[in-house]
Order: sequence, then structure tokens, then C-alpha cells
Amino acid sequence: MVFLLACLAAAAQEVTLTVDAPESAVAGERFRIIYTINSTDGQFTRPKFDPSFSVQGPQQSTNRNVQWINGDMKVVSSTTLIYYVTAGTPGTYTIPAAQFETKRVTVSSQEKQIVIYDGDSSQQATGRQQGQTSAAGDAPASGSEVSMRILLSDRDVYAGQPITGTLKLYTRINLSGIQELKLPDFKGFLKEDIETPPLRSLDNEVIDGVQYGTGVIQRFVLYPQIAGEIRIEPAEMTALVQERTTAARDPFFNDPFFDSFFSSVSTVPRKITTQPLTVRVRPLPEPRPADFHGAVGSFTIESSVSATDAKLNDAVTLTVTLKGSGNLNLAGEPVISFPQGIEKYDPKVTVRSSGISAGSKVFEYLLIPRNTGTFEIPPVSYSVFDPGQEKYVTLRTGGFTLNVTGTPGQEEGAAPVYIPGEDVKYIGQDIRFIRNGNGRLTTLSSPLVASLHYWLWFALALFIALLVLVVRKQQIRRNADKAGMRNRRAAKNARKRLSRATALLKSGKKEEVNAEVARALWGYLGDKLRIDQSDLTREKCYTALRERKADEEMITELDRILTATEYSQYAPVSEVESPAALCERAALLIGKLDNVLD
Amino acid sequence: MKRIVLIQFIFLACMVTLAGQSPEERYAQAGELYGSGDYSGAASLYRKLWEEGYRSRDLLYNAGNAFFKSGDNASAILFYERAKLLAPADEDIDYNLQIARSRITDRIESVPQLFFVRWFDFLALLTSTNTWAVAALVMFLVALVLALLFLIKARARGRLLSFWLAIAALLFSFLMILLALRNNNLVNHNKKAVITCSIVTGRSAPGETGNELFVLHSGTTVTVEQELGAFREVRLPDGNKGWIRSDCMEKI
Repeated sequence: MVFLLACLAAAAQEVTLTVDAPESAVAGERFRIIYTINSTDGQFTRPKFDPSFSVQGPQQSTNRNVQWINGDMKVVSSTTLIYYVTAGTPGTYTIPAAQFETKRVTVSSQEKQIVIYDGDSSQQATGRQQGQTSAAGDAPASGSEVSMRILLSDRDVYAGQPITGTLKLYTRINLSGIQELKLPDFKGFLKEDIETPPLRSLDNEVIDGVQYGTGVIQRFVLYPQIAGEIRIEPAEMTALVQERTTAARDPFFNDPFFDSFFSSVSTVPRKITTQPLTVRVRPLPEPRPADFHGAVGSFTIESSVSATDAKLNDAVTLTVTLKGSGNLNLAGEPVISFPQGIEKYDPKVTVRSSGISAGSKVFEYLLIPRNTGTFEIPPVSYSVFDPGQEKYVTLRTGGFTLNVTGTPGQEEGAAPVYIPGEDVKYIGQDIRFIRNGNGRLTTLSSPLVASLHYWLWFALALFIALLVLVVRKQQIRRNADKAGMRNRRAAKNARKRLSRATALLKSGKKEEVNAEVARALWGYLGDKLRIDQSDLTREKCYTALRERKADEEMITELDRILTATEYSQYAPVSEVESPAALCERAALLIGKLDNVLD
Repeated sequence: MKRIVLIQFIFLACMVTLAGQSPEERYAQAGELYGSGDYSGAASLYRKLWEEGYRSRDLLYNAGNAFFKSGDNASAILFYERAKLLAPADEDIDYNLQIARSRITDRIESVPQLFFVRWFDFLALLTSTNTWAVAALVMFLVALVLALLFLIKARARGRLLSFWLAIAALLFSFLMILLALRNNNLVNHNKKAVITCSIVTGRSAPGETGNELFVLHSGTTVTVEQELGAFREVRLPDGNKGWIRSDCMEKI
């Protein structure tokens, strides 16, 4: 590699002395040490080279440049001294500092280390390695003049963690070009090419003592998709190798001196392949957070809204930006639970990636508030896996409050309703008009069913009814008792009257006997048949007696006695039956009736 | 400054005259405001009358119309529902309520009530609870008189008739008590409520922590099942239940 100490010609007054020398060289081969001084007048003191070095030179060249810029003269001058050095024995050497002395200052160059390899031994050492799979992958397949390598930034990664890959060409011979580059299909990875400038010139690099011309063919980023030991198949390419072929020529010219003149250079295609590689992809640890959406790397997150005061149905944009390095392309969108009443559209996702290391991914959510009010847009919680810390990191943003104002129902209200196929076309729909008829308003009255009084009325009515019932029943019972008494005592009373009649008979008051007999009979019938004395008639008595299944014979007898008693009251005693017989007959009849009526 | 004072004075004067007016006058004034297109003014007047305890089918119907015209569909539905409780057979109320319902956001498949519940409620709402209560009491008295006739007049003619009439009157009285109670429940203790917030979330538990179950918009009618703190458990017309903030609804 060419080590270059930056020499900025900005300061014209400041004198600098730079040295340019290879880091390594092969013993016996000539290499150059170049000193550059941005000044012409001064004394250069060459360094004391190692005695084993054979030094030629210096070849000195001076360059003076006069410029007129805006009327100012500017003189840029420089001196270059080139020493051609050939090292004899391998080892590590130090090239001491050179000095340059002007009238004012003395500057020194840097000391340089140089490693001199033994040309043969390095050849042998690499020869032993031939056929083995190089673990490091840094060295080319030694021994071959042209080779190709896939260099990976990491070979032990987590799933999703990006790996930078470089396809590099190593050559020790001249190439005129490359063609038919065939990259492997990188199974198990998602590959993303990085724009690589086309290979125009080769850099110098010394690897294990061998100088190679190297060049980057292609850079890319790999995102492992599956866990496990994943093999990367070899890449293939055809390199166009310039080979010096000796044409069949005249023996006169058979001299090495002429070789360079007469040998022709031909381009020979040579197929080269890389070594297969394996990458260990570790799965992401479980359990994964719920808000993990596949982002692996180190990120930061921030969010913003376009407005916090919005009109109804006017769009508001919520922007969530994920920044950092990692698999930005594969990072899923954050899940935000927007409040109800806000219509959410799928986010617009933009990835701004500045190379492999860092970039940003922007999620733009278009929100349309469909309801008025105050809505809380919750903080975004987004978990990423940080391979450096080997754990999940939860990133959070702040929440927002969205005030939505406006009048709802402006658009949807006036849709006319058409009912097809009707004679009457209904072009609109509206409520019916208010009624202004009567303004009779009633005040809110307390419900009766809720008051105890109402139910007490029921109880009171029931109580009064029961009272009436009880009183009436008692009355009935009392009356029934009176009648029963009379019934039971009817015969007794009748006999009492009859015995009194008999007594009257003995005392000779015959007129009164019949009346007494009549009273005895009427009294008996009234009590026994439960008919009031005032209501008593013969017909009523007979009907009642017939109902009670009395014999017609008894009724006839009763009729005769009653007729006799009545008759005797108005006719002379002689014409009627004797009162004694009447008394006897009455007593007999009462006895018979008593048997029937009891 | 002077103008503001003047406006304040006029406003105050309006308030004073407003307070001094009889409810009938204010009712008529609200009708005039409605006719002239000041719907929100009419609505607030109607609402004030309602809050003062004045009731009439037309008052509630007009209030519903005024709220509908001023764009407050939820309050319109609320007042139509209230009007329906006073006049279940009023066709205009039904028509306007249907239009107001067609303008709200939520469309919920409602489980229809059983036909006899519907009929019973309709019957209960035909007249006021107190009318039913008084009728029930009168019918009870009739039943008692008939029962006494049956019990006392032992041998009177039509004793059997009085017995059956008493039984019938007692059953009618009982039915009327049930109707009075049902009417009281529907009118004074109605469990239905109308969502007034523009949007509200129904959760599985009272508080802001419960899982979100459904989202309701203004104008949806729900049935309140129970209350806990500032939250009410409501049943949607389709049978689902959830807790909603109490201040987001108004009972019918």
C-alpha cells in the first residue's frame, strides 16, 4: 500500500519535507524512496541509509510555478529527490529522517519502517498454504498469479444484522481486463449492491511479502435471513491475462535483448473463482418484544406531526423517523394504535441510506380525523435488536395531542333519496314540522304507584269491605240464632198455650179458649216455618208445609181447626165443636206437625 | 366598552323577561323561533321547559325537531324517545325519530322485543301512570262491592253474576296496577340512554384501563344496566355489553 503523508500546499511559507517509501519490499528488488520539499532554496541532507542498502541517486528535479492571482504573484516551487534503493538482506529496517535546512528553519522528514522479505522464502511459505482454506480470508490464494476473494466484515452475526462484503481481485501479473463476473446467489441472505466505481487501476498491496495489485470489483451488503451455518458459494470471473509469448523467430535474434522487442503480448482468458465461505448466523434471542418489527442495528427514533390543531376531515401527517445503522430496509413499520375516529392510511415509507453504515427510514402516516374532539396520538414504541449489546432495545417517541374542530355531518346530511318507479318523486327527506296547536303543558307529577298513600287506599278499601262483611255476617248469625230458638221452642210454647186454653176451659171462659188455640197454632206455625207473624196467612203456611212434605191430611186438619177457631169467635158456642175437643185436636196436630217439621 | 355593557344589559333584560314569562308563553315563543329559523334558540327554550318539569307530547316532539334542525341528532333522538313515552301511537314522532336515526353513525342490528312485551308497553303508555293507578283503585273498589254483594246477599238473584264480575274487576284492577307500574318505569325510570359524545369507547371494565370492546358515536340508544362511579354498564341493542363514561350519555 502506498503510504502518503498529506502534503497540503496551502501554506506557502511553511516548509515541509515528506517522504514516500514502501512499507515492504523484496530483497534484491529495487524500490524508490521519494523526498518532496515545497521549497527550492535550502540544503537537503540525505538520511543515513542502512549499510546493507545499495543506494543510487538522488535524481533531483525542481519545479517552479509562478501564478498571478488577482494581481498577486504566487510562487509555488518544489524539489523532488528520488533514491533508488536495493536491499540485500531480509529484515526490518528503519530509514532515518532526512533534513532540509533553509535560512530560517530546519525541517525533518518522518522516520520510516521498511520490511524486507526474502523473496524465495516467502514463495515457499505461501506454497505450503496452497490448497488450504484460508480462514482469515484476507490473503489471496497464494501461489496463483490471479485470484479473487470475498471479504466479509463479519462472519459471526445475528439474523438481520448487515454484513459488508467486498469482492476483491489480487493479481501479480498484468491484466487487461475482467469479464463474465458471476456472483453467487447468496442463498439465505438478502443482498444489496453498493455502487462501486468500475475497476480502472490497481492498488499495490504486499501480503505475506508478496506484492499484489489489488482492486475492488464489487461491494455489497448482506442481510442474513435464516439462522445457521450459511455457506456462500464461490464467485466466478474470467480475468484477461496478458501473456508474453515468444514468436517463432530468426535464430539471429535469439538473444534476450531482443526479447522485449520481438515478443508479442497476447491476452489469455483465465477463469478464477473464490473460496467458498461460511457465515455463522445466530437467531435473534427469544422472546422477541411485541413491538419488534425486524430492525437489527443501533437506531434512534423520533416522531413529529404536521399539526396539532386540525380541521375535521383535514389530513394530518405523523412522521416517524428511524435513524441509525443496521438493516433499515428490513425494518418494519411501527404499529401505532391510533384513537378511534381518526382514519389511518398505510404509511408512506422512504429509506434514505447513505451507504452501509448509517441512514434513515421515514414512515409517514396520513391521518384524517373523522370526528371532532381531542385525540391522543400515543407514543410510538419500537424495539430493535442491538447486536453490539446483544439485546433488544426499546425506542420511544413522545405522544401528541390532536385537537379536531369543525362541524360534523356537513357532507353526508343532504344526500337526496330517490325512490324509483313511483308516481311521486321524493327529492328530499326532512322531519315533519313542529306542532303549535295547544300549548297545554302539564307539570311533572309524582307517580302514585311510588307513594305509600296510594297502596294504603287499597288496604283501606279492603279493610272497610271486610268490616262490612264481618258486621253483616254477625247480624245474620244473630238472626239465625233467634229463629232457631223460636223453632226449638215452638212446640213447647204451643203446648203452654194449649194448657192455658184448657185452664180457661175449666174456668168456663169458653170464648177465650178458641182464641188461645188459634194463637197457639199460629204461633207454632210462625216459629216453625220462620215466617213473621205479620206475614202469616193460611195459604203461605200451607205452601210452606207442602214444601216441608207435610201430609195433606195434616193440612186439612189444620185448616179445619183454624176455621173452627175463627168460626167459633163469631158464632154461638153451641153450634160449634166443644172447645175441649178442639184443644185436644190441636194438641194432637201439633204433635204430628212437630214430627214432620223437625 | 359601553357597547359590551349595553349588550350585557339587554341579555340580562332578556333573561329577566324570560324568567317572568309563563311557560305557555315561552312555549309559544320557542315555536316562533323555530318558525323563523332560530333552531338552536328554540331548542334551548324547549330544553329549559323540560328541565323545569313541564311535559307534553308536543313540547318534547318540538324539542326533538329543534335539536334535529340545529344539527344535534343525539339530543333530537333523546327528545323523540321521550315524546314517544308520552304518545306511543304518534305517527309524526315515529317518522321524525326514524329520520334522525338514519343520520347517526352507528348501525346496530337490534334484537326485537317479544310481541307481548311490545303490546304491554304500548298499552301502558297509552295513558299516564297516575290515570292507570286511579283506574286500578276504582276497579278494585268495584270488585270489593261486587264481592260483598256475593257474600252478603245470600239469596239475591244474580249472585253468580256478581261473583264473576267481582273476579273480573279484580283481575282488571291487577292488570291496571301492572300497567301503572310499567308506565312509571318507562317514563320515570327508563334505563335507556342516548350517547351524546361524538365518539366514545366501550370497555370491558369501568375506568380507562379496560380492554376496548366497541366504539359508539353520538345518537346511539343503549340500555343502562348498572352504574359504578363515573361509569355505566350499557347494553347495546344487539345484546353486547360494555362500560362507558356516564357523562357521554343522557338518560331518556
